[in-house]
Order: sequence, then structure tokens, then C-alpha cells
Amino acid sequence: MRENDEHTLDWKLSDDIKTGFTVPKNYFKGIEDDFSLNLIEEELPKNNVFEIPTTYFQEFDHHIIEKIKPKKGKILNFKKIKLIPVAATIALIIFFGINFLLNNNSELSSDEIVNWVDMNINTISSDDIAIAFTDINFDDINPYVTIKSEDIIESLINSDDIDFLIEDANINEIN
Amino acid sequence: MDIQKAEKRLKKPEVLNLFEGSKSKIKKLVLIDEIALVEELQNIQTKEKAFRILIKEYKERLYWHIRKIVISHNDTDDVLQNTFIKVFKGIDNFKQDSKLYSWMYRIATNESITFINKRARERNIDITEMKQELVSNLQSDRWFSGNDIELILQEAVATLPEKQQLVFNMKYFDHMKYQEISEILDTSVGGLKASYFHAVKKIELFIKKKTH
Repeated sequence: MRENDEHTLDWKLSDDIKTGFTVPKNYFKGIEDDFSLNLIEEELPKNNVFEIPTTYFQEFDHHIIEKIKPKKGKILNFKKIKLIPVAATIALIIFFGINFLLNNNSELSSDEIVNWVDMNINTISSDDIAIAFTDINFDDINPYVTIKSEDIIESLINSDDIDFLIEDANINEIN
Repeated sequence: MDIQKAEKRLKKPEVLNLFEGSKSKIKKLVLIDEIALVEELQNIQTKEKAFRILIKEYKERLYWHIRKIVISHNDTDDVLQNTFIKVFKGIDNFKQDSKLYSWMYRIATNESITFINKRARERNIDITEMKQELVSNLQSDRWFSGNDIELILQEAVATLPEKQQLVFNMKYFDHMKYQEISEILDTSVGGLKASYFHAVKKIELFIKKKTH
């Protein structure tokens, strides 16, 4: 009898004991969805279908390092930049002067002017200047012209090299 | 040869068991390494050397992430280069509020989406149309080796809204955990699960329609 009581007590005790296992909150809530997703996923292809050139990753490092290195050849001297508007102004004066003297009666389109400047800006000699401006004494021209900061900014904005200038400025700042 | 031997030894069960017990320590070490790498990247003296390590470590993962969004190899190459250049230029401002790889993945994702948007604007078409056009070029793409069903899967992915497409690619193809995706896309895990569920259902429907 005593034995049976103990047996019953043990049985009741084991019935009350919990497993100790727990599951995340809401685990059973979405389990049907997860199961149906798994079934669909199993039907889908999973291969990598994209290919790449054989040496692509080996060469990539070199390409990118080259791109981030400072472009030494492109560093411009700011003093030279200051002279760009001056040079352009002189070139235009020469152009109009020469054409005024040689072609007094003709009318020029803006395209013709631009083309002429493009073609001849590097070929104008000091003699051309002397012929074009016989009545000007170049000794009177002040080479240290004061340039307005707005003009410099405008010149920089219109320049193709603006990206390089910004980059160089950043690098100089870092250094 | 020595490296191969070392790798073999590392893969032995007793060594793996040793690591199994120290997972948290290893995670901590990886984190410390990342912090050290960021510090080197932010130091002008060590920046280039550290950047080489960064490229080596992440180029392939980022490449495949981008490739699944922009599809063609050449476009992926452009976007990947832009991504690394942005990382290089922006690393000084990286505050380590997030993990380095999450931050890089975010840049790569944004660069890819910006790229497709730009292309769509140039062509004067909707972004979804643009994505479908990119996929339609796959058949003649020499860097695509998929069969018919794999091509249909890519077409199906291209029809998904942006977030669903990203989640699907990262979960299904890249086997990323929701928590990792959550850090990259800045979306809750619950939201991601819902997006993935809808994505898979839509893909299933699309493939059924195409194949029946």
C-alpha cells in the first residue's frame, strides 16, 4: 500500500514537472507562413547565374587604388589661375584689334570669334601685339592687375578642371 | 603550402570544438579588428594600406550585392568603383554608430539605386520599366549563364518593389540574417519578414503564370 502511494506521488510529481524548454514569443503565430515559404523556396533555383571575367577581382584592387591616388599631374598653381582671365582678355583684345585693322568692313559671328581664339591663342607673337596696338604703350599696363574674387570664382566655375581643383584643395588641406 | 596545412589543422573537429566554446570571444575579436581597421583608415599615414585591406575583404561581397541590383557586369563595375571611392572619401566622417560593413552595404545599395534612377531618367522611363529592361538584356549578356527558369526568376525579382527586391536578394541569395539586413536597410526585423513573405509569394505567382 505504501509502495503504491509513493508510486502515485511520483507519478503526480512527474506530471507537474515542466520541460524547461521555451520558445520565442509569437513563435507559433507565423509558423504556417514560414512552412509555406520554405516549400516555395525549395522550388526556386538558387544558382549564381551571373558570371565575371576571370581576372576581374585580381585587377580590381589596382584600378581602385589608382583612382584614389592624388593626381599629381593635374595640380594647378593658383598664381597661374589668377592669370587666366588676364590672358583671355589680352587674347580677345588682340583678336579684335587685328581683325579691326585687317578686315574693317566684315561682320563676324560669335562662332567665328570663338573658333579664331581657339585656333590662334597659342600662335600670337609679341609682333602681332605690336602691330595691332601701335598706339598703346605696353609699359603703361600694370601686370599686377587686381582681380575681383567674383571673377576668380566665375572663372573656376567655368573651368573643366573644377573637380580636380576641389580634390587638390582637399588633399592640400589634409597635408 | 604552410597556409594549406594550417587550414587543414583548423578544420579538425577538436579545433572546431575549441572555437565553438569561444564564439563570443571570436565575435569580440572581429569587432576589435574592425575598430582597429577604421582607426587605420582614418589615419592619413595608414589610410592607403588599410584601404587595400578593406578592398580585399569586401570587394566580392559588395560586387555580388550590387550585381543583383544593376544586373550587368560593366554597370556593376562602375557602381562598385564609385562605392569604394565614396567609402574612401567618407571614412573620415564615419562615426562607428553602425558596423563598417553595414555602412558600406548602405553606400553600395544607395549607389546602385541612384545608378538605376539616373539611367531611368536618361531614358525617360519609370524605374520599374528600367529594371525590367535591364533583365531583358540578360538573354544576350555574355556574363549570364542562367537557364529559362533562372531567367524567369530574375524577371520576377525585377517586378518587385525596391525594398522587397533588396530583402529577397539579401535573404535568399546572400543568406543574410534578418538582423544584419535590418542594420543595413534601417528597417525592423518584423517589417523585413513581412517584405520577404510578400516577395516570395509574388515571385511564386509570377513564375506560375509564366510557366503554365
